[in-house]
Amino acid sequence: MSNELRNTGIPSKILNFFLSLRTAIWLLMALLCLLLYGSFVMPVSEEFQALQTLPLFQWMIENSPGITWWLWAAITVISLLTVNTLLCSIESVLKKKSARQWMLVISPQVVHIGFLFILLAHLLSGYGSFRGTAVVYENQGLRLPNGNDVLFRKINVDIDQTGYIKDWTSDVEYFKEGRSLGTDRIGPNSPSFQHGLGIYIKNVQFQPYPVAMVEVSREPGAVWALIGGILFMAGMTTLLLFKIKKEEVIG
Amino acid sequence: MHITPLLIAVLSVALYVFGYYRMPFVYGGFLLQLIYMVLRGMELGRLPLVGPHDTLFFLSTSFMLFAIPASFSLKNRQHFMNPVTAMTVCFMLFAMLARPHSYPLPPVLRTFWFEIHVAFSFFSYALFGLAAVLGVLYLVYREEGAEGLQYKIILVGYFLFSVAMIFGGIWAYYAWGTYWLWTPKELWTVILWLFYSLYLHARLRQWWTGRPAALLGIAGFVIVLFTYLGVSMLMKSSHAF
Repeated sequence: MSNELRNTGIPSKILNFFLSLRTAIWLLMALLCLLLYGSFVMPVSEEFQALQTLPLFQWMIENSPGITWWLWAAITVISLLTVNTLLCSIESVLKKKSARQWMLVISPQVVHIGFLFILLAHLLSGYGSFRGTAVVYENQGLRLPNGNDVLFRKINVDIDQTGYIKDWTSDVEYFKEGRSLGTDRIGPNSPSFQHGLGIYIKNVQFQPYPVAMVEVSREPGAVWALIGGILFMAGMTTLLLFKIKKEEVIG
Repeated sequence: MHITPLLIAVLSVALYVFGYYRMPFVYGGFLLQLIYMVLRGMELGRLPLVGPHDTLFFLSTSFMLFAIPASFSLKNRQHFMNPVTAMTVCFMLFAMLARPHSYPLPPVLRTFWFEIHVAFSFFSYALFGLAAVLGVLYLVYREEGAEGLQYKIILVGYFLFSVAMIFGGIWAYYAWGTYWLWTPKELWTVILWLFYSLYLHARLRQWWTGRPAALLGIAGFVIVLFTYLGVSMLMKSSHAF
């Protein structure tokens, strides 16, 4: 254990526990067991249907512990894993700061930071996400949670000879207190974003008249997940290059 | 399905069977698999990555794509290539039993993020499959270098699988407004990712290298198969296949 970490005032037994790779392995095993259990419970319990529409923590509070216990336990294990990851990363950098292959030391830590950012993203989304759906017709408006309005001016549907919907778009205009804020076009994989809210068209129907199933969502963790994903990929790329090279030298 | 691609696939299986006697036949079988995939892609006007037929075929081709270069780092190539060839043929035959999905894709699937997400997922599944074969070789023949190669292959597979998950999240955010859905498939994807995270961390400890690591590598592919086939067939999810 490095002296820098010893001098933090954390009791050494607790520090040793969190600085151990064995702890990480046991925590990963525990997390795997909990998720395995959850994967078999989820499809058969009706309560989990609402999990897609509510923020995770709100859903967990609203449902009985008999259903949610494995998620609470998984979050506890993830919290311990977070502390373990953070402390192990700090220790590794401090211990090996004079190592010759600096990239091999820093790459796993970049991967760990990426992983922690992704966990942060889930924490933020689990707490503050929003999801609402509505059915809209052409020239119909919708009040957004931020108080602005969105008007669906036109719903365009591209249909082939067999009646299969090949594509769709919708022209929208945003308003604040009756004043236009601008226009946009929504399509498949191309939502419209307005002050942190995403406006998506989930489905369209053309007959008897154009109608769209709209979803408005807010994912406060999305940016953090992206940052985490980029860091994870960057760290993994350098780790892969240096690790395989090192294994070849050893081999 | 047209008769020409079917003939190519049958011929490819035949060449793989002859591959048990001479390695060049395996290369021929792989070449025919690639031709089949190109023809199928031309017919569809996109990467053939939707439905059990195309994904099983893609997976079987991916086994060979990575197995051929990996085999050169082993002393006894035949020990490795024989079970890989059997696995490739097995998945190809399953693919031929499934009806090809030749309909136009729903608009939400027509994006680069989807194609790269699925392609990288299957590349990683194939690598995890090869790692399992190497694990068996290590346990059965005490094949020198098999466990080390298993580690390297899992490292590459883990990288591709992580990239596939990240790209899948980006696609899901653009398509459905969230990078994460609470479905069994997503949960099993995380289970698989955590399992290989466990493998990579465990192997850093002396106790886990060798036999335990080889066993973990084999168990990982069982989870891969359940994530890919088991969840799709037994559990309701956003990922039908």
